[in-house]
Amino acid sequence: MRIVTITPERLSTEQVDRVVERLRTVLRDEQILTSKTDRYNRARVPAPFPVHRWAERVPDLAVLPTSTDEVAAVVRIANELRVPIVPRDGGTGLTDGAVPLRGGIVVDVKRMNEIHELDLENRTVTVGTGINMLKLNEQLARHGLIYPDDPASYPCSLVGGRIGTSGWSLIGARYGHTRDLVLSFDHVLPTGEVIHVGDGIGGKISKSSSGYQLKHLFMGHQGTLGIATKATLKLYPQPEAELSPFWAFDNYDDAYRCVGALARAGVATFAGAVLFDEWKVAYLRRDDEAYIPQPADVRALVCAVMYGYEDEVRPAGRRLFRIAKEHGARYLGDEISEGDWAARHDRYATPLHGRTKAGQVVPMSWHCEDAAVSYTRVPAVTKAWHEIVAGLRRRTDVFDDWGMFAYTSADTGVDYLTEIDIGIWEQQLGDEAWELWVQAKRDIAAAALRHGGSISACHGSCREGEVDLVPQELGRGFEVMLDVKRTLDPNNIMNPGKYLLDLAYEPGAATALAALRGGSG
Amino acid sequence: MTRADPDAGSGGDALTRPFTPGMASNDPGLAELTETVAGRVDIEIVDRETREFVEEWRNASYNCYSSGHKFCREVCPVMQVTRNESWTPTAFHANVVAMERGELDVADVAADYVNCTQCGACELRCPNTLFTGDFYRFRTRTVDVVKAVRALAVDKGVHQPQWQSWNARTDERTHEPVLGEVAVSQDTVRDWAEGLDIPVGGETVLFVDCEAAFYRTSVPRAVAQILQRAGFEFGLMGEQWCCGGPAAEMGYVEQAKRFARHNLDNWRSTGTRRVLVLDPHDYISFTEDYPKYFGDEFDIEIVLVVELLAELLRDGRITPSVPVERTVTYHDPCRLNKRKGIWEEPREILRAIPGLSFTDVDRVTQWSYCSGGGGGLPVEKPDLTAAISARRVDAAATLGVDTLVSACPWSERPLSAAGDARDIDVVDIHELLAESLGITVGGSRGEVGDRRSAGGCGGGSCGGGGGCGS
Repeated sequence: MRIVTITPERLSTEQVDRVVERLRTVLRDEQILTSKTDRYNRARVPAPFPVHRWAERVPDLAVLPTSTDEVAAVVRIANELRVPIVPRDGGTGLTDGAVPLRGGIVVDVKRMNEIHELDLENRTVTVGTGINMLKLNEQLARHGLIYPDDPASYPCSLVGGRIGTSGWSLIGARYGHTRDLVLSFDHVLPTGEVIHVGDGIGGKISKSSSGYQLKHLFMGHQGTLGIATKATLKLYPQPEAELSPFWAFDNYDDAYRCVGALARAGVATFAGAVLFDEWKVAYLRRDDEAYIPQPADVRALVCAVMYGYEDEVRPAGRRLFRIAKEHGARYLGDEISEGDWAARHDRYATPLHGRTKAGQVVPMSWHCEDAAVSYTRVPAVTKAWHEIVAGLRRRTDVFDDWGMFAYTSADTGVDYLTEIDIGIWEQQLGDEAWELWVQAKRDIAAAALRHGGSISACHGSCREGEVDLVPQELGRGFEVMLDVKRTLDPNNIMNPGKYLLDLAYEPGAATALAALRGGSG
Repeated sequence: MTRADPDAGSGGDALTRPFTPGMASNDPGLAELTETVAGRVDIEIVDRETREFVEEWRNASYNCYSSGHKFCREVCPVMQVTRNESWTPTAFHANVVAMERGELDVADVAADYVNCTQCGACELRCPNTLFTGDFYRFRTRTVDVVKAVRALAVDKGVHQPQWQSWNARTDERTHEPVLGEVAVSQDTVRDWAEGLDIPVGGETVLFVDCEAAFYRTSVPRAVAQILQRAGFEFGLMGEQWCCGGPAAEMGYVEQAKRFARHNLDNWRSTGTRRVLVLDPHDYISFTEDYPKYFGDEFDIEIVLVVELLAELLRDGRITPSVPVERTVTYHDPCRLNKRKGIWEEPREILRAIPGLSFTDVDRVTQWSYCSGGGGGLPVEKPDLTAAISARRVDAAATLGVDTLVSACPWSERPLSAAGDARDIDVVDIHELLAESLGITVGGSRGEVGDRRSAGGCGGGSCGGGGGCGS
């Protein structure tokens, strides 16, 4: 049940023409895209998408600015004409921050992919937010440096999207996550004003205690507070050595205990550990060459990864191998370990793995639901989530359970990104299946909250379903969110319809919030 | 909904345990669950050709559409220079899904599909190909989708102006109008071979068309003379037409098939059993398009010259001995490296040439390199081709080389123009090998190549043919 329903008012053709006319005063014609394909191809992201209702998500036009000034000029016009703006970077997010819900102008930053300044002495690089991390690292490699922000979408996501979603990195336990790696950035507010966000007036300070710490506020807002255009990033030496052992277990419990012990060991080169549950191993057995040859008693896996100098990683590796052995681990060998870690970005998106319960191969969209959960709650959340997906599968083959990963978020093992991968047969998706899905998302979010976690460690939590529980998770903090939104975006033009932020402009917000908080258990 | 114990399962049925769908050992209870929700909404597509197109490609495109990760984008040569998401492999597949849903039609999408060189990088970088391809015998097929959309557009009378004119002129002259206003025709198609005494016909013919036959004539001259040096017997084609591949790439399928028919019939008439191919684009036509057109009837052996030369080298039938003092890197032509997996032989040849200082860039890094010269792009969007070539030459420039070696005549014109701006020579691998065999190649290296060689007149390649122009 949606508490808030807003009838989206779409622009008329005449209004769109007027917007285009104004945009032509600040952009070249070829930067303004109005064709149907331009708009249809900027309507979706990999998050589950109601294909049957694609047309409702199509923006009125898209623009391809090349500078902060151009972005600011576009936003000023939009604010003046009260036209929605939807920032789009890689468009690879797993929540739907970049999906237009009210039409309007998609501001696509991909052309802002310059490297503005490489500062070898202070170890920073300043880039346009439209640059991809892999491409950036190709340039940095010449200097023996690396920008270690490593999401699953590493080969295609962009720095700006990482800021807008406050991204999570696979090797964050060693290098930190996006919020730690981005030192500062230029940001266009919903009114078109440009501010510099981050510590220090020069943009290259990693810790300051001067004033409110605004950086976190302008990260992870899913495009509702504006657009980051230029960012200064922290750089590290390219690691000399990588060690990524994969271990097999004949039961989940031992694997779970092992991953906890590895993370708690306090090894300085430890960059992360991943736990594969029994469902994930069964899923990999559907076809994966790496696991088919494994004996049937392999039911759970753990991998850990270390980065550093050779003479740091070697002894650290010996320590972790010893811990793994004490927990009943069987090492899978160098070939699988190195190969699987190298393939970590490619492993996720495999539509061909989709199956009906009877085993028919059907093309399914990969989808991943995440939460942040304390170590001690990981098994309970794992169980609850599989049960939610089993409930879907009892009714339909539109959904498939592709198993779960739990990843360490931090170097001490305090909390884990848990994620369940779900295949969705979008070709068979209609309104009824979509409603089932939205309810499942509420249930998935509720399970994470019930166990003291957060609805999302990395994707964001603004989609239909889960978003209903955000006021519950944030408590009074959600009202602060509304106040901030109203202050910074007086006309609600910046990515409207997301995160229940329309409530900032509703007189009956208190009642709606009370209903959401009371009725979402 | 509130349950008493929200974490309690609903009682241990088959779905509460991990299982592999389809296994005989699975719980029979699974079969008792009936589908209550799934059901596709079929959208009536009135136009027959569009409907057939969608039926053929919907699942192939859906496999891209539903994949979360768009790893193809940053290796796509067009995307890298335009940064326009409408012109990405993922958009080319998503449009098909939208056409299936009746949201878009071919007139809406046709112009976008110009923006593809058919290099195949996206297919290789696709997680579907990389990760599950072997098991399912699956490969993402963006190049074929692009060709199919272009064919559908032509079929429906949606033309791109330059392509339409280019193919009309090709049809008229039996060769692509690679010299612009200067006519190309049957009368001049063998002019490149002047003075080389090559017979016509025979069991083995060297196929030379269009860009190589009329523009970069030093390439076929180099090849012919190397083969003669090795004592390898071959002739020229009786009535040589364009292979038809470019027409097929731009959507003019009927014309492409007509040209293919002519060539096959002509080989038959001269008793030809084997065709030597020096142009990677022709190689795609003969190994992919012709077998599709003719099925079992197509029994001609197709030999790629660069592979043949590597073999002659191994067998000691040619031995490069004249030092070539150049600092080079090699450009993997897309149709060899990405489309056909041929990358070893050219490197073998380069390493055999004395005097060369060769800085190699591995073939996987080169997935994201392209000259922009393929798929009809330079015909319709020459500026885009130039931008892609500039980017490729920039990458070479960071290596501090003076020469970029290619093995594809179509790449060499745009790369030469881009190289000129950075003072980098663009040389064909066959030209380089011939030079090292002490052969005076002759012919033209194209406008830029001839001008640059005239400057220093190095490399012994300034004889005859197109000559040292300016």
